Amino acid sequence: MQHLIEYLVKALVDEPDQVNITEVAQEEATTYEVRVAPSDLGKVIGKQGRIANALRTVAKAAAMKNKRKVYVEIIA
Amino acid sequence: MTAEENGTSLGESEQPVSIDTTELNADQRQAVCLLEEVCVASGLDCAPIVRSLQGAYIYIDLAGSDAHITWGRMGHSLDALQFLCNLIISHRVSTDVRIVLDSDNYRQRRAHALEEKALEIAREVKERQEEAEFEPLPSHERRLIHTLLAEDPDITTYSEGDDPDRHVVISPKRR
Repeated sequence: MQHLIEYLVKALVDEPDQVNITEVAQEEATTYEVRVAPSDLGKVIGKQGRIANALRTVAKAAAMKNKRKVYVEIIA
Repeated sequence: MTAEENGTSLGESEQPVSIDTTELNADQRQAVCLLEEVCVASGLDCAPIVRSLQGAYIYIDLAGSDAHITWGRMGHSLDALQFLCNLIISHRVSTDVRIVLDSDNYRQRRAHALEEKALEIAREVKERQEEAEFEPLPSHERRLIHTLLAEDPDITTYSEGDDPDRHVVISPKRR
């Protein structure tokens, strides 16, 4: 899962070297904290959060098989 | 088999055909490569198969034992992945390449379901002579409904609201 989020986020930004994904596992869910260069924030959030929401939807779908709840948070 | 023949081969009993990757240009190959990398990164059993090419559009199926549960069933996961992939590919290539994703015949099943619902709502609108709204849908799905109901002389359709809440309204036509 982390690989998928990392791949997509790195492909969306101008500075892939500054992408950092942290996995925070809780009891019922896993949260992926996404950090990018400040200049790339718009590239992973999008207008009205459209890109961030698409990332969340894709992550949720990819976690269906393992019946795991996942959250994707963009950390500014 | 040519791309043209491919685009029309929607018969349910027909075996799906795939395009030989040697027929693709460099930018189209980039699109396939992107989907291959996405599938590998997901750790799931799925892989892209090119079904047809129509102008700028490249139709890609996600196949494999995990494709159904991940992309072929859950509401808008396919649209979300398609949106992200088109954003990414537009950065990577110079020509116009538009990726259209499908999995497990989701698009066709979804279209059938939407059409049935649209006809049902249209029937109610005519009976009650009152407007009715659809739930918010992406543009290509709204278009399906507008096209389907365009020839019905008793109703009109339009969309209102802004994405992601934009939705189709069906209203009775005064005669």
